[in-house]
Amino acid sequence: MNFMTTGMRVGSGKSLRITLGALAALALSSSFMSAPAVADGKLEELKKQGFARVAIANEPPYTEVKPDGTVSGAAPDVAREVFKRLGVGDIVASISEYGAMIPGLQAGRFDAVTAGLFMKPERCKAVAYSEPILCDAEALLVKKGNPMGFASYKDIADNPKARIGAPGGGTEEKLALQAGVPRDRVIVVPDGQSGVKMLQDGRIDAYSLPVLSINDLVKKANDPDLAVIAPVKGAPVYCDGAAFRKQDADLRDAYDKVLAEMKASGDFAKIIEPYGFSAAAAMSTTRDKLCGG
Amino acid sequence: MDWSWSFVWEILPTLLEGVRVTILATLGGAVLAAVIGLALALLRRSPNKAVMRTTSFVIEFIRGTPLLVQLYFLFYVLPDAGITLGPMTAGLIGLGLHYGTYTAEVYRAGIDNVPTGQWEAAKACNLTGRQTWTQIILPQAIPPMVPALANYLIAMFKETPLLSAITVLELMNQARSVANFNYRYLEPMTLVGVFFLIISLISVSLLRLLERRLGRIG
Repeated sequence: MNFMTTGMRVGSGKSLRITLGALAALALSSSFMSAPAVADGKLEELKKQGFARVAIANEPPYTEVKPDGTVSGAAPDVAREVFKRLGVGDIVASISEYGAMIPGLQAGRFDAVTAGLFMKPERCKAVAYSEPILCDAEALLVKKGNPMGFASYKDIADNPKARIGAPGGGTEEKLALQAGVPRDRVIVVPDGQSGVKMLQDGRIDAYSLPVLSINDLVKKANDPDLAVIAPVKGAPVYCDGAAFRKQDADLRDAYDKVLAEMKASGDFAKIIEPYGFSAAAAMSTTRDKLCGG
Repeated sequence: MDWSWSFVWEILPTLLEGVRVTILATLGGAVLAAVIGLALALLRRSPNKAVMRTTSFVIEFIRGTPLLVQLYFLFYVLPDAGITLGPMTAGLIGLGLHYGTYTAEVYRAGIDNVPTGQWEAAKACNLTGRQTWTQIILPQAIPPMVPALANYLIAMFKETPLLSAITVLELMNQARSVANFNYRYLEPMTLVGVFFLIISLISVSLLRLLERRLGRIG
């Protein structure tokens, strides 16, 4: 709106006025498109739409896109079931970098993030999390025999030659930087397969992901020269939750209610335990505890 | 969409580090491209048919495939053959090779542009091969090449964000990483655009200056 008034005032030249007018129209139309339907609430909007758009990574067993294009993994499977019970027929997933998930959620590209995006105080400030869903500790993938003797992120920081790979904007990147590994020795790895390849090629000395993700990768890579160190000493156990926009708290609350029912009935465990996650771990902690830190 | 100046000041040092790497990559890539281009241009003029054909094929091959694919190949595939290049080295080689094939064509056009009469006159005056190149051909061939070479330099500069795909921490990669950490894309991405614009504008005016000076000598 501001844009338009300025445009009209400044626009003395004809072409300038047209350009600014077009810009203003664009700004106006895009603000219309992204305007949330406050009247109905987010859940009603999704019910009408028939599906929810969720952000996922491609990091089994949290999230996985099968070769035929179907989306599975523990996080989307839980989300699919919860949304179904809420009356939203299906989920439509798009793959995103971890770091881009929260901005994408805020920009309205997704309705929820169901990707193993671990709860941390600064993330809790940015989004509305559901109660805990998937819990896991951190692990390091190294060459067989752990030649550099890593047990913690601190060990990597202390060795001036050691380089660690981690997904961009993920928890592990932050843990490594917090432990004092300098920026140029924390290599941002685009995906799990590249991480394994870079480790095999000697470009990085350790690759860090949650335990279950590393185990899955190692199983698929089938390389006897790799070894897993888990859990990483001093790194906390994290839990993820489905993340919603702050203004969609009504959707979050409805989601929590169904999730609590599923946890109580054992349906929750039935979905996540085949993937290796512990339902007891998720039920032993709460959002308030994980966000409080 | 609320612009935060305090966030800008906070991320500026990180982004400037990225600017440094971007400029290094551009300059390194440009030097390589200039040298590789010259070598390819001379090989392509070789009287030996086999050498000439092979060079032409290499040039067409590299020009006909995307830089991103070449970078992935240099970074992820070569280690399988036992050649592990550092990210920056792989990036420089990728940029140098890719743009070398373009500069080769510029050199070729520049040299072909010198009229045959000049070669004949040099021969008639009994100049040596070296004298012919340094005193007759190149002084006439180089000035018209400069604008085209300069355009490729700027184009290469704007392609350096591709290096982020092979983990080089250049401007784009640094910006993405600060954006990922703070869940804010507005300021980092805007600054990346602004930095690229400023550097492009400065380079363009410097290069135009160079062109004018060379034009006067020529």
